[in-house]
Amino acid sequence: MKGAKLRWGVVACAVVLVALGGRPALARIKLTTLPVRERVEIQLDNAQATLVEEERIVTLLQGTNHIDFSWSNTAIDKGTIQFRVVDMPLRAKAKEDPPSVVRPDGKVEMIQVIYVAYPPNENALVWEVFSERPAAARIRISYLVGNLKRSFNYRAVAEQDESTLVLRKYLRLDNVSGEEFGTSGLWAGFGTYFHREVGLNEAKEMLLWRYATVPIKKTYTFDWWTGATVPNEPEQRYVEMRYVLKNDEANRMGRFPLQFGKARIFQKDGHAGEAFLGEDWGQFTPIGDEMKLYLGLARDVVVKRKVMRSQVHGVKGSLYHRELLLHYTVENFKNTPVTLDVREDMNRLRDEFCGHKDHDAQWEIIRDETTLPEGQIERADSHAAMLHIPLEAAPKGEGKVKALTVTVHVFLRNEW
Amino acid sequence: MKTRGCVALLVSALVAFAGAARARNVDLATVPPREGVQLTIYNSEDLTLVRETRSLTLKKGLNRIQYAWANTLIDPTSVEIRALEEEDQIEILDTTFLHDKPSHCIWNIDSKIEGQVKFRVTYFTSGISWAADYVAISNHPETAMAFDGFVQVYNNSGEEYENAEVRLIVGVVNLVEKIQELARKGVKVPGPGEPVPPALRADAMRGAVARAEQAKAADATRPPEIVKEGLSEYFLYTVEGRWTIPNGWSKRLASFRARDVQFDILYRLRVHQYGPRPMRFFLFKNDPEHKLGASPLPDGIVRTFRDNARDGLSYLGETKIIYVPIKEDIELNVGTDDEVVHKRTNMGVERSNFAFSDGHVVGWDETRTWKEEIRNFKSKPIRMEIRHVIQGDIDLQAEDARLHDYHTVEFTYTVKAQQTFSWQYKYTQHCGVNAKQDRIKLN
Repeated sequence: MKGAKLRWGVVACAVVLVALGGRPALARIKLTTLPVRERVEIQLDNAQATLVEEERIVTLLQGTNHIDFSWSNTAIDKGTIQFRVVDMPLRAKAKEDPPSVVRPDGKVEMIQVIYVAYPPNENALVWEVFSERPAAARIRISYLVGNLKRSFNYRAVAEQDESTLVLRKYLRLDNVSGEEFGTSGLWAGFGTYFHREVGLNEAKEMLLWRYATVPIKKTYTFDWWTGATVPNEPEQRYVEMRYVLKNDEANRMGRFPLQFGKARIFQKDGHAGEAFLGEDWGQFTPIGDEMKLYLGLARDVVVKRKVMRSQVHGVKGSLYHRELLLHYTVENFKNTPVTLDVREDMNRLRDEFCGHKDHDAQWEIIRDETTLPEGQIERADSHAAMLHIPLEAAPKGEGKVKALTVTVHVFLRNEW
Repeated sequence: MKTRGCVALLVSALVAFAGAARARNVDLATVPPREGVQLTIYNSEDLTLVRETRSLTLKKGLNRIQYAWANTLIDPTSVEIRALEEEDQIEILDTTFLHDKPSHCIWNIDSKIEGQVKFRVTYFTSGISWAADYVAISNHPETAMAFDGFVQVYNNSGEEYENAEVRLIVGVVNLVEKIQELARKGVKVPGPGEPVPPALRADAMRGAVARAEQAKAADATRPPEIVKEGLSEYFLYTVEGRWTIPNGWSKRLASFRARDVQFDILYRLRVHQYGPRPMRFFLFKNDPEHKLGASPLPDGIVRTFRDNARDGLSYLGETKIIYVPIKEDIELNVGTDDEVVHKRTNMGVERSNFAFSDGHVVGWDETRTWKEEIRNFKSKPIRMEIRHVIQGDIDLQAEDARLHDYHTVEFTYTVKAQQTFSWQYKYTQHCGVNAKQDRIKLN
């Protein structure tokens, strides 16, 4: 790829007047001094746009100066370019000063941008700047640049007992902007501030934050409607295993939202090494919310679901209730106790037994035949029930795993 | 490469000018320079009114003036000339548009005097435009901002107007035909072609014109003042000084600089308008209390930054404002905020009040329970306005709800720093034959 050129310079006044004057400046002959970058800050706190701020010391003549800024092979958003003088020299207001140049504090800035001119068919602009005295001014130019992007990823290492993990959050900067920025300050809006070399066509990954001993909530979820089917077992669906990390202070996080990014989970193997458990896309998780990372199937927790009763109770005319009795038969072959979460989608259940409807199911769980205690059944929202079923560990030695059958009695009301 | 345009006024030294068409291939012309030019640029249409001042030396009797504008976007139907001096001694007899030279016209001027007279030539051109844009830089606590307005003038007209007085019109004017189309069409004159003077080369013309230009340059020691004044339903911005914008170039000038503009912050949740997450708005007014209000603010992009307290800026986003009259509210949408979370959950539905026809359900009421929650992780309180559009015949039971319109309900809450605020409400939707209205009724 052709190297980019991002350049600015102070142009000798008399020369540039030719350029700005009566002729179209297709060949803009310029005599320029090329101030080097003194400082570069790359602001990565906006997910949609990257702001670059660079400072250079520009030697200004007394009078009119033209500062020429041009670039090629770099996706700078021309409309966003800002020009600011850092540590602006000020003087007291004089009688002849028009009100427009007097600041609220009564001072007048001794360096003024008169206008910005944009030449045709060029990635360039020229600031006409008036300086009341010769000055070496520190100038800061800010602009949005494309193809200089941030992303986040996570690496978690769980303890062998899966009680806690260490979560490392990395900031990745991909620079295919066409410009080499040199040593730059990098700020994602939170976490560690970095000072790094940002070269052309390179990606840099930096440890943004390390969360130690984050409690893990390991969940086992059975969902008849979305779970993967088990070959030759029509009554079975695979159980999905997730790590759930709550982004709050009680769980040693909660300092910042967790941005979208790939999370790779490892577990200590007890031999000074680590085993890879799986990876998932971590969704944007505000403070106080849970990041749920799906790691894979829990093959040692087996669930079968059967509908044991389907009975219609006519109400009037075409209006009826439908009664369903669901059996979940659960076996835990793991050597540790687990809690199985069963999610039942009542809209889909209604659609299966009453036909598809546009309205939400009106449902309730009737206690009489339901075997799960009340505290273990939860209404997640208008159309989903969550059952939390505690399971004993598989017996040690030659003892057989006991199958537990949970009965749930559902009433779908007022269908037609 | 585009050929550069050329606007030229020629005084043809003709021995005689007969009304009848006659072949004539040799001509002699003097080129009077522009002494002043004023551009009045409209932003609602591709339209600029150009007023040139030129001095012509007339002889007694008939004078033939050719005006040519090759490779420009001038509307031929708009070109006119009038004397600024000795008006009662000078008569514009007619204007002739040449059949095969659409970018030319000839004025026949009868003069009772001999000598130099100032004339004004006016015409419409397209290809010159202007646009406003704004830069807002908030302080770190997000209580006050610097709000700067700019105007950028673009010249793609094919003509270079040197040392021009530039005036910008804010407002919407009506045109029945686009100037650019008229410029392309030229003027079609039926009948046999009139003999025409030889075309002069654009570059030669330009050189002659440029050499003759004498105008006061802008004061280069400070940004030009842009004087704003009302004009009928429009606003006129006059840029101080004289400006040259070469063809193809654009220039951006500061229109105003406002400092310490206080603003409020409001979060808005309108799923139907902004999507599922609350958007943050900076609110202030175009009035003197907010260091503004000198003129309406024309349509334009506002780019908003924030002092990031690390000796730099954060980019918050850009939004377009539509013409803001004096004293009107200004709302800058600066996007979502990761520290403010809103959740809305439908907790359940119940149906009742069934109506039947031939045993079939034809009407019913559906009552939904909603739970909403705002989590504020910021270090200061926030105010959030939530609007939900609910279609149908709705009876709504909620303590703090108010109607925004017949099918939109609004809640506004202030949530303390680092706090979560939640509330519940119900509404009943009358469905089928039970639906008698299309409105929300607050109970």
